[in-house]
Amino acid sequence: MVLLDPTTLIDIGLIGLSGALICLAVHFIPVGGAPAAMAQATGIGTGTVELAAGSGLVGLITSSYMLHADPSASMALVMASGALGASVMLASTMLAGGFIYAYGVAVPFASAQVKKDPITGQRQDNYVSKGTQGQGIPTICFVSGVVGSGLGGAGGGLIYSVLMHYYSPLISATSAAAVAGVFTMGVFYVNSVIPSYGVGGTIEGVHDPKFRRVVPKDVFTSVVVSMLCGVVAILIAGGMTP
Amino acid sequence: MSEIKERSPDQLMVFGIIGGLLGIYLTYLLPLAGERIGGKIEIVLNTIAPVAGALGAICAVIWGADAVRRVAKYGLGTGVPSIGQIALGMGIIAAMFGLAIIKTQPLAGPVVAVITASIIGFIIGWFAQNVIKMKIPVMIRCMTEIAAAGAIIIIGYSAAVAGNYDFVNNLIPRVFDNGVILFIFWVGAVAMLHPFNACLGPDEKQKRMLYLAGSTGASTMAIVGLAAIITIGASGAITMILGIVLWIIFYKKFWDEVYNDAASVVGTGLIPKTEA
Repeated sequence: MVLLDPTTLIDIGLIGLSGALICLAVHFIPVGGAPAAMAQATGIGTGTVELAAGSGLVGLITSSYMLHADPSASMALVMASGALGASVMLASTMLAGGFIYAYGVAVPFASAQVKKDPITGQRQDNYVSKGTQGQGIPTICFVSGVVGSGLGGAGGGLIYSVLMHYYSPLISATSAAAVAGVFTMGVFYVNSVIPSYGVGGTIEGVHDPKFRRVVPKDVFTSVVVSMLCGVVAILIAGGMTP
Repeated sequence: MSEIKERSPDQLMVFGIIGGLLGIYLTYLLPLAGERIGGKIEIVLNTIAPVAGALGAICAVIWGADAVRRVAKYGLGTGVPSIGQIALGMGIIAAMFGLAIIKTQPLAGPVVAVITASIIGFIIGWFAQNVIKMKIPVMIRCMTEIAAAGAIIIIGYSAAVAGNYDFVNNLIPRVFDNGVILFIFWVGAVAMLHPFNACLGPDEKQKRMLYLAGSTGASTMAIVGLAAIITIGASGAITMILGIVLWIIFYKKFWDEVYNDAASVVGTGLIPKTEA
């Protein structure tokens, strides 16, 4: 059985690990959902899936470019370039969103979940408007978001490089990249929706009390589901052998 | 309010699976039948075969939209789009697996894909229900259904672009290499999630939503036809024209339903000012 080979088992484990990274990423990103779009909650005003997948797919592009430019690039390098791409994407999203919150909606950036910002140490509760859950993207949320998207991009790069290792000897380089990329995208979507159900739509980032409560069970689910996807991915390679 | 007749989940499931698989299989079987008959009929059958795939996918879109409706009614906390995206995410993994793993038995491919999707959907549904504890009673069943519908949508529209569902010889060069698969992934997801996302609210009715699902499926078919013109030529034109015709028909039906339902809304005027 090809699946019981130690290298294959390690690769399935790596795909499970990258699922866990993507799942963790979703918890780090300050997702505000519809309330944040109306500046009534802290975070970026769109859904978990959109943010995680948006930054993750940019990470996928940068990591695949790395692998294309240097096919012998080490896995760490591919993951790092994925992390960089995803972080730049989310940081620019948050920066542009921050400009709109500050100069368009005119709200002070404040988190309702903590009394003092853990990074800057500034008071938060004074600035939270009555009846809201905070507004804008405070420093801790911004930093947490950059770290989170980095994890997601690294996870995407990891799956991609594992799959390319399986598919590129079987079909042409372009086709292998297409198949591996599409599969990574599928795993990405599954793993960004699962934790978004866990957090129930909105989370502020690493300082949110929700973070500690939901991370273990979400990560467990993602690891199991991603490993299942890993088994499927390796069997696909078996189907493509001429 | 009068009694509203609704299509049962089982009815729509049978419609989605049978219609979807029939459409997908026709893309493979019609050319085979044409080969037996030969002559001009062969050319005709070869040309119309890929169109069947897109028609099958529309059946799955309608089924998937109803499954989304049943589960999203409970309020997911993340918006309806998330469930459409996870559906196609599971569907694309299962579709690639099902079509690739079958080497010598091409007829088994789509069925294996649907079964794999159901298994992945069941596992994710079980985890969502029992580990993440979402407390939605229909979660497991609906997750299984939307994953299977997602797989049929992917295979159906891909077969319409590639000619048939042979993974290595047709799908990879005609759908994966040129990136059409990404389009099928996104627009297929929107076709499935949009109907309930647009119709949800206090006066949501199944009939109206199903017509909208038909219209989103048909509009996807029209654009898939445009991609198919580039990859396989004449069949693509038929797919596109048929897609536009179906889109207009379904959209008119949806339009009529909206007018029909809106007629029962009675104007009550402003809220009367009462003295406390």
